[in-house]
Amino acid sequence: MVEFRNKQMINIYLILSLMIIASFRFAFSIIDFSLNRLASPILWISFFFAGMFSLSLTYKREIEQGTGEGLLLAPISLSSIYLGKLLANLLVISCLELFTLLIFFVFFPVDIPDLLTLLTLVFFGTIGIVALGNIISAISSNLAQSEVMLPVLLVPLLLFTVVMSVVSATSKVFAGAHLLDVINEIRFILAFDVVFIAAGYLLINYILED
Amino acid sequence: MVLKNNLKVVILGLTVILTIISIYLALIYTPSHETMGDIQRIFYFHVSSAWVSYLAFGVTFVAGLIYLKSRDLKWDTIAFSSAEIGIIFCTLGIITGSLWAKPVWDVFWRWEDIKLFITLVLWLVFIAYLALRANAKSRTSKANLSAVFGIIGFICIPLSFGANRIWQQYHPTILASQEGSLQASMAFALIVAVFAFTFLYIYLLLVKVDVERMKETIDEIKQQAGG
Repeated sequence: MVEFRNKQMINIYLILSLMIIASFRFAFSIIDFSLNRLASPILWISFFFAGMFSLSLTYKREIEQGTGEGLLLAPISLSSIYLGKLLANLLVISCLELFTLLIFFVFFPVDIPDLLTLLTLVFFGTIGIVALGNIISAISSNLAQSEVMLPVLLVPLLLFTVVMSVVSATSKVFAGAHLLDVINEIRFILAFDVVFIAAGYLLINYILED
Repeated sequence: MVLKNNLKVVILGLTVILTIISIYLALIYTPSHETMGDIQRIFYFHVSSAWVSYLAFGVTFVAGLIYLKSRDLKWDTIAFSSAEIGIIFCTLGIITGSLWAKPVWDVFWRWEDIKLFITLVLWLVFIAYLALRANAKSRTSKANLSAVFGIIGFICIPLSFGANRIWQQYHPTILASQEGSLQASMAFALIVAVFAFTFLYIYLLLVKVDVERMKETIDEIKQQAGG
């Protein structure tokens, strides 16, 4: 929630997603391609990288500002810290994604898909990204070169699980599918979310305690 | 210690003997494949490397779990050693597979094949695992963080099976299917090769764990001498 108090930070995130979308638009302006088919991967890669910057600070800020110890001393379980961070990140990254989506529709002249389905997918996909990203961020904040280590650790785990399935579902939406057409994919993504939250909830103790 | 050294010598002996037998079986004893010809002979080593890499990553996962339960750094050393050996065999499996695929499939790699995809993901996850260990700040934090990461990485593998919805099975499923099943001599050669590689893995693991222990001892002595 520090993000909202610190206007500087949230502005930088917004500018960053603008830059990412603009660079994709630039990359695809010089070749001939079908916008509707590439929309989904472009969108999710933007979400993924914009979200990662927000995730990278989640635990690192606590360590740098010395507030981490206070947090550990508080009479709450470590798992609740994880859940709290999860909700905070979810809020920040969701706002970020809505903004990115807006810019995306401005920059890329795609057919407007079923927005309810798109937003549902974005929401559930984001839960997965944040649930796993949170615990990896806790790991990387304890490492040297933590800024580089977060993407190194996160990409192989996240890109081939949640992001992959959500991208294939989103491309169906851009091809004209509605909520009921992708209900199987949504169930699947929900299963990922549950597994990741459970893993984070159980394993966070081992990361934070020392 | 003596017992352990004896065990190592026995396993080394078994590995050498089985490897020699397996090379003979794979290259000379078995007949050429009806359709693929001699290219198929790489299959004995390809399957064995892939099996050893899955085994090694499984050992990393289990050792990580035991470490988190017991907090005995011995298990962390085992997990790390096994991961490193697993990456070597995983790389070998990918290379031998690509060499086989070029003449048979006409390409080195098929992105839509689920087994190739999963193996690549595993490889990337454990490369990241090594990067994590290289950047840890202390011995215990290295052990804790890498155990957690190894466990999450292992959980993600079955998940990416499901995530890859468009996957197709080009991979020969020789052992499971009826018509493509192996001739008896080929099956025998495969089994020997798998055993040879498994013993090689066990031997490498024992040696690697010893090397890691020696490194730790050296570090301790250095600290005592320096501080």
